[in-house]
Amino acid sequence: MTASLSLQRLSWEQRRKLTGILFVLPTVLFVSVFFIIPLLMTFTMSFFDWPLFGDHTFIGLDNYTSLTTDRQFLKSIEFTARYTLLVTPPIFILGFILASLVRHSIPGIGIFRTIFFMPVVIGLGVSSLLWVWLLNDQVGIINKIMLDLGIVEKAQLFMARPDSAMAVIIVSVVWKTVGFTMILLLAGLQAIPDELYESAEVDGAGYFHKLRFITLPLMRRTIALALILSVIGSVLSFDQFYIMTGGGPRNSTISVVYWIFNNSFTYFKMGYGAAMSIVLLVILVLLSAVQFYLLRDNT
Amino acid sequence: MKIRKFAALVLLMGILVISIAPLSAQDEPVTMTMWVRSISFSVQTLVDEWNATHDNQIELTEVPSGEFVTKLGAAVAAGEAPDIASIDLIYTPAFASAGQLTDLTEFVNQLAYVDDLSPAHMTLGEFEGRNYAVPFAAEGSFLIYNVDLFEQAGLDPENPPTTWTEVLDAARAISALGDDIYGYYFAGNCAGCNAFTFLPFIWASGGDVLSSDFSEPTLEEDPMVREALQLYRTMWEEGLIPEGASVDGGENFVNAFASGTIGMAGTGAFGIDNYKTNYPELNFDVTYIPGKDGGTASFGGGDNIGIPAGSPYVEEAWEFIEWALSDDVQLELYAGNNQLPVRLSLAENEYFEEDPRLSLAASTLSVGHTPYSLVYNDLFNDANGPWLLMLQVAIFDGDLDGAVAEAQQRFSEIMGG
Amino acid sequence: MTTTNTLQQNESGLSPQQMRHMRNALLLGLRYIALIVLALLFLFPIVWSALNSLKPPAEALAVPPTYFPTQIVLDNYIELTTFGRVGVMQHVWNSAIVSLLTVVGTIILSTLGGYGFARFHFRGKNLLFIMVLSTLMIPFQSILIPLFVMLSNIDLHNSLFGLALVYITFQLPFGIFLMRNSFLAVPQEIEESALLDGCTSISVLYRMMLRLVLPGVVTVAIYAFINSWNEFLAALIFMTNQNNFTLPIFLTNVRSGLYGIIDWGALQAGVVVSIIPSLVIFLLLQRYYMNGLMGGAVKS
Repeated sequence: MTASLSLQRLSWEQRRKLTGILFVLPTVLFVSVFFIIPLLMTFTMSFFDWPLFGDHTFIGLDNYTSLTTDRQFLKSIEFTARYTLLVTPPIFILGFILASLVRHSIPGIGIFRTIFFMPVVIGLGVSSLLWVWLLNDQVGIINKIMLDLGIVEKAQLFMARPDSAMAVIIVSVVWKTVGFTMILLLAGLQAIPDELYESAEVDGAGYFHKLRFITLPLMRRTIALALILSVIGSVLSFDQFYIMTGGGPRNSTISVVYWIFNNSFTYFKMGYGAAMSIVLLVILVLLSAVQFYLLRDNT
Repeated sequence: MKIRKFAALVLLMGILVISIAPLSAQDEPVTMTMWVRSISFSVQTLVDEWNATHDNQIELTEVPSGEFVTKLGAAVAAGEAPDIASIDLIYTPAFASAGQLTDLTEFVNQLAYVDDLSPAHMTLGEFEGRNYAVPFAAEGSFLIYNVDLFEQAGLDPENPPTTWTEVLDAARAISALGDDIYGYYFAGNCAGCNAFTFLPFIWASGGDVLSSDFSEPTLEEDPMVREALQLYRTMWEEGLIPEGASVDGGENFVNAFASGTIGMAGTGAFGIDNYKTNYPELNFDVTYIPGKDGGTASFGGGDNIGIPAGSPYVEEAWEFIEWALSDDVQLELYAGNNQLPVRLSLAENEYFEEDPRLSLAASTLSVGHTPYSLVYNDLFNDANGPWLLMLQVAIFDGDLDGAVAEAQQRFSEIMGG
Repeated sequence: MTTTNTLQQNESGLSPQQMRHMRNALLLGLRYIALIVLALLFLFPIVWSALNSLKPPAEALAVPPTYFPTQIVLDNYIELTTFGRVGVMQHVWNSAIVSLLTVVGTIILSTLGGYGFARFHFRGKNLLFIMVLSTLMIPFQSILIPLFVMLSNIDLHNSLFGLALVYITFQLPFGIFLMRNSFLAVPQEIEESALLDGCTSISVLYRMMLRLVLPGVVTVAIYAFINSWNEFLAALIFMTNQNNFTLPIFLTNVRSGLYGIIDWGALQAGVVVSIIPSLVIFLLLQRYYMNGLMGGAVKS
């Protein structure tokens, strides 16, 4: 009773404030419980020896010093960086080509946009399973096609060598994600007024001239966004390696998230996994800082 | 200390349960949960038989082998462990040492046939002198070979190889039969498969990968490790092993030998069962895994069965375990279903008389080795672990010294904690 | 109108304009050829997976594979219904439950929160808004370990409900951002008059605003559905009981094979089963999906 009485005594302004707080409260609770607290816990856990079962003990910075001598961790960082550098250009270039192709409203263009975008809504896990079959040396259709076309003499074991494993994973990931980049770039392209191109054409500008002096400068922010999203996605990749290579051959395709997963949930060294997560977090925050720098408004 | 205290507590609880058992026995029948990893032996048949003949019921969950340890560990941590768990025996030390299993010493000591149980299983089920698990499913590794290909290659299928030279010669002769025919096969991207089938080559030659007290690795100092790797390397280099073997994580293993184009491969009793059932036309026989100049060894594999800590049905669960180990069940439901009995004295039985291949398989249990390690998974079974990496770098890349040195270091790091 | 005029004029002879038209037609033709070739390449993996799933099981295992099914049967799908311990339908159901819980939860929280952040003023509002959005910068991969520990402690680990709670949290930053923008786009006068008429805030939201921001709600719902339906890593870690596996995790089981044999036909059938729901939703509602994406791209 007292609560409702005092509620009535509040002014309209105060009631509005209270209502506003009530509206955002569930969200704030969720984010606090399932995000902020775990985030702080990651930090805490990284100072503990924390097995999956049994007690955890405080070990100070030991997990972090172990990181510096963990050759697989360093290898994973190097691999993840290399993968990111290799997968980003094809995604971006093909994404740009696709965006340019579907830019104008010609008949049927909606169908093409849909087709190019379709793989994006398939999960990466499921698409990886799909490619496992496509690429299989025995029952896979890709080897069958290459054999029938005479491109190869015998079925290729794509996952047997680090470079070919990397190559086919990149193909599968480009197929799966390029539609996303295409749509982002398409939005950027369509935001450029047609008049700019028309007046440039009147001045006799060619395709590359227009690309260099109109398209790219005006799309700087969209391009930066597309790049950053693609880079962050690649840095955090796990599914495609877990499913398609299992980290092989010779442990050459273990990404950082994969190695965190292995340490935390296969070797049960969760404190150590948490320390690696913190390193990953720092890398990601730095990337986000780059993002803010590239997206800044200085035009 | 903590573990002992915990074990004592569990024991106390066990005694409490026993002492009130007569009371609870009159209560409603209980339903217990049981987990088993996906092994070829149909545990479901066993459980169905139990459920049909007992008041206390069991609900069986099959967990994929590759995920079993993670899932069980997580379940125990979350207090959702099953009442009975059939665990890959190599993991029993890790689970027992972490206080995840109920101390069964008192129960085990009451068994009349305790010395008859598979010794490898019993060793792995012990921790600090107490028993935490007993054998449930037995597997010994051996060589399987294609009799037709042996005959075509002019080899005597009655006298399979007994030394490495003979293995190599046989593999060469068989590979020479045709482009698509290979002398040997192993799943080159499967860590556990090769602990099972490759380690015995080393053991049979008097070598080992761990010191006799299991405290440190001996990969670098024991010459037999390199020699065994060289044997596989030679077969790989000479094309006696199909190229696809290098990426086989164990998925193509059965298909490969079943196709009739493989001369020899390491396998276990599950293989015999599978080929007999699904490929009746395949003409195969089995022999022991040989040492370099003779001798034999086998990997003592299979499952131990235990009661995860925290189960309220210790007494009831033990009843099931004891029932599973009894003569009748071991003969009718194990041997009768092509499954090896876990008791040595039952290796010779009426069912196996018809098929000497199964008798040989059962007899490997007496020469079974199993590495005892709390970090077995990280060493030998992890797909990204040092054991598989060593095999791949040595056999497929040919860098034997580098592979062994790297593995020695990684083993030491992991075993040192 | 002008184009038709130009065309008529050009029929008389070769003019620069006609040249340009011919060139444009040629370019257009090339554009279509490129589009068609690329579209075939993009469709190829999905189409062949679907075709493979319709082969008789033995043919799906054939080495080398056949291009087209010799006969079209549903055997692989039927096989999948009894695959593993509980069959595929249980896993479809698991995925559906998790996704629906996520969708409903995300819609409710984002709508309430978005409205609160857009239309109310209270101390700390901006700080809270930044807190919610800043989670976008922190990858959920880096907090999975404590989440796992936490959920185990409160007995929500290995529960579809617990998984949905985590998914809702992952969806919230985008949902709040989008819903806040949707509410901001609605003219303030509409709701002010209603408030003056004595309606409570919640009834204004429910009766009037919701209809105006419906496109935003649909967009949030589609994203929540597709992301939770497809999610792999968290489900892999949190779901320990096979009965609770979501579809993608179940499929990795199918893939790891049974006693050394992979049932490729069943695997492709499973792939098709898990692709269909997101694809159908995307095809039906792609306008909203694209709008969410493009709106985000241009604004941010």
